[in-house]
Amino acid sequence: MTKRIDRRAIVRALIVFVVAALAVFAVSTIGSTAMADTPDAATAVAQTSAIHADAETTEAEVTVDDTAADAPGTNRIAQNVFNGLVFGLLLALASVGLSLIYGTTGLSNFAHGEQVSLGAMLAYFFATQQPVSLPLLPWEFVIGWPLWLAAIAAIVVAGGTGWLQDRFLWSKLRKRGVKMVQQMIVSIGLSLALLNLLQWWIGPDRLRVSIAIEERRQVGPIQLGDTTAVSIAISIAVLLAVAYFLLRTRLGRATRAVSDNPALAAASGIKVDAIIRLVWIMAASLAALGGILMALYDSGTKFDVGAKLLLLMFAAVTLGGLGQPFGALVGSLVIGVVVETSTLWLGPDLKYATALAILILVLLVRPQGILGRAERVG
Amino acid sequence: MDLIYDILREAIAPTTAAFALAAIGLNFHFGLTGLLNMGQAGFMLLGMYGYAITVREGGPIWLGVIVAIACAAVFGLILGWPTLKLRGDYLAIVTIAAAEMIRYLGRSQNLNDLTGASTGIRGNDFKGSFEMLSPFPDSQVTFLVWTFHGTRSTSWWLLVVGWTLVALMLLMYWRLSKSPWGRVLKGIREDEDAVRSLGKNVYSYKMQALVIGGVIGALAGIIWALGASVQPDSMGRPTTFWIWTLLLLGGAATIFGPVLGSILFWGSLVAVKGLASLLIPETLLNTQELEPFSLTLVGITLMCLVIFRPQGILGDKKELAFND
Amino acid sequence: MTDDVFASVPQEPGAPKPDPIVVADNVHRHFGGLTAVDVKHFEVQRGAITALIGPNGAGKSTFFNLLTGFDKPQTGDWLFNGHSLKGVSPAKVARAGKVRTFQLTKALSRMTVLENMRLGASDQSGENFFVAFAKPLWKDREEEITAKAHVLLKRFKLYEKKDDYAGTLSGGQRKLLEMARALMSDPEMVMLDEPMAGVNPALTESLLDHIVQLKQEGVTVLFVEHDMHMVRRISDWVVVMAEGRIIAEGPPHTVMQNTEVQEAYLGAHMDTDLSEEGS
Repeated sequence: MTKRIDRRAIVRALIVFVVAALAVFAVSTIGSTAMADTPDAATAVAQTSAIHADAETTEAEVTVDDTAADAPGTNRIAQNVFNGLVFGLLLALASVGLSLIYGTTGLSNFAHGEQVSLGAMLAYFFATQQPVSLPLLPWEFVIGWPLWLAAIAAIVVAGGTGWLQDRFLWSKLRKRGVKMVQQMIVSIGLSLALLNLLQWWIGPDRLRVSIAIEERRQVGPIQLGDTTAVSIAISIAVLLAVAYFLLRTRLGRATRAVSDNPALAAASGIKVDAIIRLVWIMAASLAALGGILMALYDSGTKFDVGAKLLLLMFAAVTLGGLGQPFGALVGSLVIGVVVETSTLWLGPDLKYATALAILILVLLVRPQGILGRAERVG
Repeated sequence: MDLIYDILREAIAPTTAAFALAAIGLNFHFGLTGLLNMGQAGFMLLGMYGYAITVREGGPIWLGVIVAIACAAVFGLILGWPTLKLRGDYLAIVTIAAAEMIRYLGRSQNLNDLTGASTGIRGNDFKGSFEMLSPFPDSQVTFLVWTFHGTRSTSWWLLVVGWTLVALMLLMYWRLSKSPWGRVLKGIREDEDAVRSLGKNVYSYKMQALVIGGVIGALAGIIWALGASVQPDSMGRPTTFWIWTLLLLGGAATIFGPVLGSILFWGSLVAVKGLASLLIPETLLNTQELEPFSLTLVGITLMCLVIFRPQGILGDKKELAFND
Repeated sequence: MTDDVFASVPQEPGAPKPDPIVVADNVHRHFGGLTAVDVKHFEVQRGAITALIGPNGAGKSTFFNLLTGFDKPQTGDWLFNGHSLKGVSPAKVARAGKVRTFQLTKALSRMTVLENMRLGASDQSGENFFVAFAKPLWKDREEEITAKAHVLLKRFKLYEKKDDYAGTLSGGQRKLLEMARALMSDPEMVMLDEPMAGVNPALTESLLDHIVQLKQEGVTVLFVEHDMHMVRRISDWVVVMAEGRIIAEGPPHTVMQNTEVQEAYLGAHMDTDLSEEGS
């Protein structure tokens, strides 16, 4: 069952990828002719890169691109594809959770982006040498734990927020039979509240979780730093663990059963509520891990980092087939690669727009595929 | 005393009128038709760009308004075409994505000449012709407790125009929601298959609702822009969420819900900030933290509203009885 | 209650009728590898009450959805009054004069009973966006349909409830409302999907009477039903489906004796009480 659906998800993703690439190519052709027409194209470009340095979406990538361009023997396309794969892996950590929540409860959780930010903020909170404080408390203190300890603590606390949410909010709403649409708006409220809470708590500035400066080495046609390598290793390991859990363990099979048909799962003795609780904890922890690794990879983070990623996650999850955790992984990789390679043609400030265009395109190309089984009328 | 004045001032400010307008548009979408438009800010932004760019390039005001309306209508058509056949939450994701795309495109360097990229369009570039029409004096004017400038930016002139527009749109909502047209939309909100089985073209009606609500959103954008400037990042996702909050606060599917909601929303935001800075010492909550603090409360309000009083202040309690 | 018109109709699947209002040919619908509907030929006699029965999963509701445009088959064509309805949207099917109800009632909860009824009426110019602004243009039609709604509500014993929200009605009342609403557009044919499901016994009789009355007014009725009593009581002709195909047709009192029908029921649905004495 799972295998068949996953293959379909991959095929679907590939089709859309090709179409999206063509679309990007078409737009870039139009864009470049427009550029050539402008007499002050050169100044425009210069201006562009100057503004990129502080444009909110691009900070880290610009540095990567610059070094890539400078170093001899580095293939820009290969580098971008590689960056995209890394970004996709990190995105997958977050979107697998989003997909699991959707699969088991039917909720499109708009607050999932804040779970990612929360992970990064907590890691900063535990690791930084700067004095930190808690909202509405007058004391300032320094925790300054080593990075690995801070990361673990952050993931544990974030997982705890997943438990708290389900225990005191979502399970109650499910019990009251609150409609999905209403629950979705509740998640929007939660997202708004958490986003501002994080800003209030940590502040609006860009932060560095680790102050170590990453050294980059030449590996074939690409450049690779130690932190990035470790991030890749961790995320692959964790994703494999999630896959193992879902495919090989009793609990994981139960989770998939709940995803397929909650009523049937409940009838066959699976404790649906306990499974959903577990899914929330997992999703929150995975999102936090994604946020931390993303902060390291981008060498900086901000209170709204997850809010920016939310729509990319939705794009990835939709691309892979809603509620399919493995689809979310494939979707994330595709989104990651598209987002990064699009910067070769379009300005970096449009890379998220590309991903959103894909999201809309998917819904255009295969709405029935995304809808899954056709709903019965009457 | 200052605080009360601030609240009163905020209650009638052009921003409040603009949000009331945007919420009336959303009321056509959600209140009447049940469409989950999570991209109302995108419609507003298009309205702003349409008006400001037309007028900046020397176009007359009426042309600016028409361009704004046309942009929103076309956006609604493009958006609705693939999505109105999909389930509700997909529409939500697509509208939010499309609105963000508008914002990303607007702040993109590639369109710098047109939109001014992330800095946007300065108010002085497009406000002139509107302010020329002002019948009010070019100085501070006090009426009852309120003091505003006669013509410039947040002026009496803009207030009059903004709230007149609100009144007109309310009248339109009242007329349409009580008509057979509105009846079809309400039917769609309740169960589209039933309405289909009765011989109505559901797709066309949803499209009409999406476009009407979006166009009203564009008008809201113009009012907002005339009171401030065109700034793409001010029309991000939070703006849409605020509009949702104030619509649900006032009461979706009610006539005066959007207006009451907007006044209460902005009034209480000022009140919360004012009270917090009075009551909570600076060491615990400094001025920089006031904004996120009060917006955290907005998020919590939205959650509580949806959970405990989804019909809002003006909604009918009876409607809650059957939430199926 | 069998009319004479059926005297000459052979009792076999896909039997031709003297004056068919619906004719379907080679309608095939499958979901993945699963065949839901595979109907070679099917006709419905005008002005009669035809029952569509069959064990669970026989494809009755899917066939219903196909005939009303709510679902699309892989192959096949079907005519209504001689016009093809293939690929026609549900709304147009309804406007052509074939209106359906649903197994799970779709009363529009947060609208009053009267508004539910008004929505059912056709030819309302006020449903056009621009006309809606000018009340004088649609006021007369509104009064007309309101008067008509009052008549129908009285007939269906819902008049006292006309200003209540439809969501406050009981399950049986919702069925009644749905049927009454379907009649607002003066359809030539109504298709009722399990009109008795979830209706309490006290209301069953009046529902049956309403269906018979429809026939007396010249409306063609096709209904899906599980309840054999009801099928025997009111239908003129019974069509039996199993595994997506039509396996038998005939008058209500004889069709159940068909061995194929009994096998189909016994095979798929042991607990159905078929051999019932026939009262």
